[in-house]
Amino acid sequence: MSYKVKLDVFEGPFDLLVYLIENAEMNIYDIRVSEITSQYLDYIEQMKKQDAVVAGEFMVLAAALIELKSKMLLPRTKVEGILDEEEDPRDELVQKLLEYKRFKAASEYLEKQEERMRGIFTKPQEDLAPYALEPDEYLNLDMSQFMKAFQIFLNKKKKLEDIKKRYARVERQRMSIEARIEQMKNFFLRKKRGTFSELLDGKTSRYHIVLTFMSMLELLKQRAITVHQSVNYGEITLTLCQEQGHVEIPAGGGFDDQ
Amino acid sequence: MTSKKNIKSIFESILFVWGEPLDVKIAADLFDMHWKEAYDCFKELQQEYEVQDRGIRIREIDKSFQLCTKEENNVYIERLCTPVKEKRLSQSALEVLAIIAYKQPVTKGEIESIRGIKCDRVIEGLMKKDLIIETGRSAAIGRPILYGTTKEFLRYFGFTSMKELPDIDDIESIIREQEPNHLDFQQIAIEFEKN
Repeated sequence: MSYKVKLDVFEGPFDLLVYLIENAEMNIYDIRVSEITSQYLDYIEQMKKQDAVVAGEFMVLAAALIELKSKMLLPRTKVEGILDEEEDPRDELVQKLLEYKRFKAASEYLEKQEERMRGIFTKPQEDLAPYALEPDEYLNLDMSQFMKAFQIFLNKKKKLEDIKKRYARVERQRMSIEARIEQMKNFFLRKKRGTFSELLDGKTSRYHIVLTFMSMLELLKQRAITVHQSVNYGEITLTLCQEQGHVEIPAGGGFDDQ
Repeated sequence: MTSKKNIKSIFESILFVWGEPLDVKIAADLFDMHWKEAYDCFKELQQEYEVQDRGIRIREIDKSFQLCTKEENNVYIERLCTPVKEKRLSQSALEVLAIIAYKQPVTKGEIESIRGIKCDRVIEGLMKKDLIIETGRSAAIGRPILYGTTKEFLRYFGFTSMKELPDIDDIESIIREQEPNHLDFQQIAIEFEKN
């Protein structure tokens, strides 16, 4: 019987064995030991070929399977000649696999639950430090005060780490060039000429500056504006090309009014 | 004496400030009331949010309450924000956690015997995440450490209490219900001598 090799990492030898059994559409209560053992060994061979480190535990189960296979070859009769159905040598393995499968299912359930909870947001505790009876005054520090201050610092740090551990930061997506161009368009509605710093409007974050610069280049490319800089590193002046009162920022083409 | 309406309104404010799950006992202490009384106030408040179909809900975690967003509104929150990809638990972490949740208190040895593979590192990771905790030592040889789940475990998976975990024998059918195209494996019996 052929089988596909699933290259995902198995969580352990039982995980692999359960997969092989299910893939071969075998009844877990009636495992064809010989067939499954050779598939299992083949898989381990594959792992070795791919230079994956085969954990010792996989080998342990391989050995157990081989032992089981040999036991299966022995005639299962008692001295009296009655077939002993109570003691199928596979029983122990079957019980283990069944137990593993139960917990595997439980882990899948937890995963679903985890996924659900990812859609529910909570917020970290407000900073209640200002209400604690420790005024922030450390002007004349003696040793013990200094230590106290350091202690507070450490506590804050610990708190922050705790928050980071349990909360993911959720933030608004940063502005796109398209949106920024839209804003600059509004700027030029009010005046025909402006400097780059005027456009920045006091916002000096690196992202904002780069975004504004990129948007300026885009507008320049579309020939919606002209740009002038008299000296290196000097102020950049942007002038609107059109004389009409409104600005159109075409999506694809440029302005051909000149 | 502060009226019940007032108390509920105060609890609501406190929940907002607290953010994290707030233990009912702490809230009860503010009014010198029995914890059960405070618990009922929180339950009523929770009910009011439900009835009015608010976007903020109150959830219960092991006799604590916390404000959170309504589950169904998730789509819109995601539209507004770009949530940083949250670190999810690995398959092995989930497996170990499932075993601990259902068999606690349980030793590392028992977990390893079920999974057939070592799990020191996984346990270490789960401890760091506060999802499990050492609950004592077994009387067995070597007095191995026993592990159990924490309140954080309940919070993380959204359970009110451990009682909310479904029976382990029902889980396979629960999952199967969610995936209708689950194939039942064919049963094949073969004489072993033929192998």
